[in-house]
Amino acid sequence: MNRAQNFAIALSAQLALRLGIEWLAGHNLGEGIGDLWFSALFAIPLSVWYATQENPDTRRNILVYATTIQLVIGVVDEAWAGRDLTVESVTRLIVFALPLAGIYAISASGLVVVYTTTGIFNFAQGAMGMFLAFVYWELRVNRDLPTWIALPLVVLILAPMLGVGLDRLIMRHLQGRPLVVQLMVTVGLMLGFLGLSATIWPQNTGRSMPELFGTDGFEIADVTVTWHRLTTLVTALVLAVVLRYLLFHTRTGVAMRAVVDNRSLAGLNGARPEVLSGTAWALGTSMAALAGILIAPENFAAEVLTLIILNAFAAAIIGRLRSLPLTYLGALILALAVVFSRTFLSLGQRWGQAPLAIPTIVLFIALLLLPQAGLRFARINAKRPRERVSTVRDAVIGAVALFVVMFVVSDFLSATNTNRMITGMVTGLIAISLVPLTGWAGQVNLAPVTFAAFGAIAYVKWGGDEGMWWAPLLAAAFAAPIGVLTALPAARLQGLYLALASMAFASMAQYVIFSQPTLLSTSSSSAQRLDVFGYSFHEGRPFLMLCTGVLGMMMIFVVTLRRSAFGRRLVALRDSEAASATVGVNVFLTKVIVFTLSAAMAGFAGAFFAQARGTISAQDAEFTMLAGIPVVLTLVVGGVAFAAGALFAGIFTVLLAIIVATYDISWLAALTTLAPGLAALGIISNPGGAVGEIGRAFAPLLPWRKDAREIQAAEKAADAEPEVGELGITRPFTREDIMYVEKQLGVVDDLIPNGRGATLAFAPD
Amino acid sequence: MPLLQIDEVSVRFGGLLAVDMTSFDVEEGLITGLIGPNGAGKTTLFNVITGLQRPSTGRVRLDGRDITNMKPHRRARMGIARTFQRLEVFGSLTARENVLVASEKRHGAFGPAAGRSADEMLARVGIDSVANEQVDQLPTGTARLVELARALATSPRVLLLDEPSSGLDGDETEAMGRLLTSLAADGLGVLLVEHDVAFVMGTCAHLNVLDFGRIIARGTPEHIQSNTAVQHAYLGTGGA
Repeated sequence: MNRAQNFAIALSAQLALRLGIEWLAGHNLGEGIGDLWFSALFAIPLSVWYATQENPDTRRNILVYATTIQLVIGVVDEAWAGRDLTVESVTRLIVFALPLAGIYAISASGLVVVYTTTGIFNFAQGAMGMFLAFVYWELRVNRDLPTWIALPLVVLILAPMLGVGLDRLIMRHLQGRPLVVQLMVTVGLMLGFLGLSATIWPQNTGRSMPELFGTDGFEIADVTVTWHRLTTLVTALVLAVVLRYLLFHTRTGVAMRAVVDNRSLAGLNGARPEVLSGTAWALGTSMAALAGILIAPENFAAEVLTLIILNAFAAAIIGRLRSLPLTYLGALILALAVVFSRTFLSLGQRWGQAPLAIPTIVLFIALLLLPQAGLRFARINAKRPRERVSTVRDAVIGAVALFVVMFVVSDFLSATNTNRMITGMVTGLIAISLVPLTGWAGQVNLAPVTFAAFGAIAYVKWGGDEGMWWAPLLAAAFAAPIGVLTALPAARLQGLYLALASMAFASMAQYVIFSQPTLLSTSSSSAQRLDVFGYSFHEGRPFLMLCTGVLGMMMIFVVTLRRSAFGRRLVALRDSEAASATVGVNVFLTKVIVFTLSAAMAGFAGAFFAQARGTISAQDAEFTMLAGIPVVLTLVVGGVAFAAGALFAGIFTVLLAIIVATYDISWLAALTTLAPGLAALGIISNPGGAVGEIGRAFAPLLPWRKDAREIQAAEKAADAEPEVGELGITRPFTREDIMYVEKQLGVVDDLIPNGRGATLAFAPD
Repeated sequence: MPLLQIDEVSVRFGGLLAVDMTSFDVEEGLITGLIGPNGAGKTTLFNVITGLQRPSTGRVRLDGRDITNMKPHRRARMGIARTFQRLEVFGSLTARENVLVASEKRHGAFGPAAGRSADEMLARVGIDSVANEQVDQLPTGTARLVELARALATSPRVLLLDEPSSGLDGDETEAMGRLLTSLAADGLGVLLVEHDVAFVMGTCAHLNVLDFGRIIARGTPEHIQSNTAVQHAYLGTGGA
């Protein structure tokens, strides 16, 4: 009975999915049912398989396979362009797909090598490749160096130097830092490289990257294979062999693999971690450069080259961030899917950009297939400054002060600057949605602007066209379930995957969802500013004051939340998932809830974003994945755990806009990209963010903050005490001291499960 | 029926058998000791009991109910609480907040019950004076007591303690022993992993000795002290 039910549920879910695709393709129910038989051929055996399995992990995987198969069948069936499968067309598919797979594989392998050796997931891998491809272009085309000089110079000398330099200056200092810091620094680098290349090579001048060896080639079955494509493929294969040899047959390589398994034991065996991480970064950067240079002839644009990384992410996740062969396989699947859709499918206006979302769809599927990770234990060498949690009274005082200051300032602002200030306050509103999620729970969402975009869409569709006061609340309610859908696949995994899922979702929304006519017409829809109980906020200054007031209220809300049971639970989750679970906290559910809350808050902010702009259309550049990242970065720079950090993000945005507008210098044009990227590097030395530092410095000056003065005095006294070396003999050892000693001894690592492995290294007493 | 039953549990990490067909019980109102050399599999067993580690084979039962496939948070709500050998405190929260996270799960977030229970637990383990200190700033021994108070705040029926006396001085260790005895007297089943032999012998009613993942001896402390297998495990078969 139970099995029959499971069978029926699985089967009907698959057929419903297929019917859904028919509906999206504009077919009526009759036509849809007529097309079902082919889907059923696959759905029935899969449902039998599902119903006869007991293990929940296996069953989840079967559902993922089934969904993928139905999706592929449905899309191919509906979008088939009618081109015959001939020797020529299939050869063309392979000739185009294999080199592309090679490029994805090169980029993804670089990612995997760096991740396995250093534990850092490099979001900037694509941007670094892009930057080095531009350097190559500069040498090869602009300076007219021959290829045989320019190519080795970039790939074998400049790229490794860049890699080693980054390792020395930045990456090495990220060891053992909270995930948020690690992620944000490489995301910041991504933006930094984009800004840097836009500064050096302004985007509006047409450039093209020559293919290696011109456009010559040879023919297979009437399809020209250019030497460039052949070289690409051969390079990827040679690299695979070289990496295999390096990792399994050289001392350094074996040590690099050992580091992954157990960093401290590798250290005890005489491996030098800094050499290994330098080698990994040099290799990774070379591979990034190679991938960038090889793909650049197809589309030589900074953003496009940077976003190649999404393909590499998907391939690397298929390889579970460990296995290079599986990574290559993932790259092949992706490339086949991309070229297949280009060659054989015709998607029409509505789904025209969908092929661009293939890497993100594959990424989602790969995330769903990842096995459940264990609960995270506390990071032993996490170092947290002493922090006082704001009281609600502080928040109220702050919000009132903000309102009063803004009221005075806004009287002097020009119309343009009023609009900039409005943008700043709205940015603050979007940023504050991340405070509970990223600041407290330690989960990264790179797509707050995408959720805000859903809020903006909801606003213009329901009530916002007439400025109804309840429309922003509806916008929040609309964004919340979308947050659930994004969080579900990744919340059972560790933090990195949630960040990846959110990034993938942002790009999927950009390419597939926002272009749907049911959501947004291609012409823009208007968003009326609010009318609340007869008072209208249509003019600039009243609307600015409205946004300021709303931001102030959100700040009070967030501070209240932090002092609630839920807020404590989130911080506890960040500090130790394992301990949270053993006191009865449902880790998965808590993550999903806070992600949903964050999405709802971003959706609410989106309603104000729509009002600030006045119109919303599918083409809005602000809704792209890359455009949303500066908001996240400036918040982290400001202080991701604090409501005031969001205000900082808003004001930072305003100042940047004013600077760029005031000093009309061409090289500053990329400042809005470059500055948040570079500022993000600052969180290495100051993970708490700017407002934490500012608070520590200024709180003692406030007359009512006696406690802050006491803490300051205590810290001064502690500094004045005589100490021996780094460890104070005049005070009891704190956990930090012990961590310090353990770190110096190099025996402690959060990767070692306690047990025989750890113990054998030390003689038992 | 024993309160907690570990029934033929094995845990395999790759080629290493960390726990090998181990069975033992924890009784209500008694302190049961689990001792053995480093790496014998004690912490792994704790992880199996609390659901952080899935066993390769075997069952775990609470009150006769099979909880082997249950998620950690459900086991916690059923009455299993633990402390960790390597501290797992919520370092950026204060001591009181650490305990509150647990008591709010137990008593609900609204109303005064959670706060009252948190204060009571802090007082019971004797750290009410540092209630509002951030735990990262506390000495290790005190942080361990925060973990214990947090575990107690879930109102457990079984309490698993992983080396509670490490980081404590002599007086504190003695106080810990008295506390555990009084907890057991309240009807709690306590499972204790400990290296301090005197402490174990003084507090436990029943001992299980684990070596290379297997139980090599069990019985009263007096019985264990005279057991040659135990001496071999601790001192090495070749030398002493």
